[in-house]
Amino acid sequence: MNDFSEIEAELRKLRPASISQDLHVRVERALASTVSTAAVLSRPRRRGNLWWSLGLSLAGASAFVLLGLAFLEEAPHPTLPNVAQDRSTPATVAQPNDNGFRPDALTRVVYQRRDEGLIFSPNQSEQPLRRVRYDTRETMQWRNPQTGASLRVSYPAEQVVLTPVSFQ
Amino acid sequence: MASVLTEEDWKSCFTQLGPALLLFARRWTHSRVEAEDIVQEAFVRFWRRQHSIENRALLYATVRSTALDRLRRDQRRARREAAVARDGDMHCEPQFTDLDESQQLLAAAVERLPDEQREVVILKIWNELTFAEIASVLEISQNTAASRYRYALGTLRKTLQPHE
Repeated sequence: MNDFSEIEAELRKLRPASISQDLHVRVERALASTVSTAAVLSRPRRRGNLWWSLGLSLAGASAFVLLGLAFLEEAPHPTLPNVAQDRSTPATVAQPNDNGFRPDALTRVVYQRRDEGLIFSPNQSEQPLRRVRYDTRETMQWRNPQTGASLRVSYPAEQVVLTPVSFQ
Repeated sequence: MASVLTEEDWKSCFTQLGPALLLFARRWTHSRVEAEDIVQEAFVRFWRRQHSIENRALLYATVRSTALDRLRRDQRRARREAAVARDGDMHCEPQFTDLDESQQLLAAAVERLPDEQREVVILKIWNELTFAEIASVLEISQNTAASRYRYALGTLRKTLQPHE
């Protein structure tokens, strides 16, 4: 091994060509852009904050939707028992049709309630009425018990409820 | 644990290691400009991954993988480079500076070494890697690295003997 010490010493005297100033500048620029990019994109703590705020936003949005739904479910007038949401088998369409489908459910969801105030008949002879308009979406579902197939129809609907008002 | 390096640390490190990295990168290209591109890309890649600069073997492995990636990316250019190398024009740009007459002979002998021997010599002499590190960089065994090194030095010594 020691036989090579002389040639190793000679080799170490050779000086590799130095890097150009241009390469220095390019690397410096690349490192600088890496630092600035990393500061924006790859800092773990910032990423954690992002997820944290995203989670909070989603939780807030969910709470808002739930409150809205709760409000809408309470919205129908007390004299309108079927308006808010009803899932039942309509008795009037309970007979199976020729295809073997039986009515399975009827769902009515109220998504808007507008109180339009009192209305009076032109001749003032009748009692005033309070008019409340409900925008709903009704969904009817049929099911074939033999095949398990189901058919669902959904459509928007509007319902107007007039309630007599008595003044005392 | 790897210490966090500031930008200034990396600059001084690059100034120190740059020439040897460039020499190593010339293994895959005979153009100094392209070798500089390889070194730049590898060094920045190494920096982005926040590796410890103490891990020299990984730095050189990054240079090697970067060079191989570029070769795969541009096979046509690689073939052109190979053709140039066959024509004997591959050493038109000097890899060493400030050479006296005997050093010029030695430098020319180094450049004539087979690639696999020359890269071991470069990593050992000018980058001061151990055989274990060289084996890691080149994905060969330590024995193979040491064997190539001895073979290369034997060749170089023979080259210089008539002039001594």
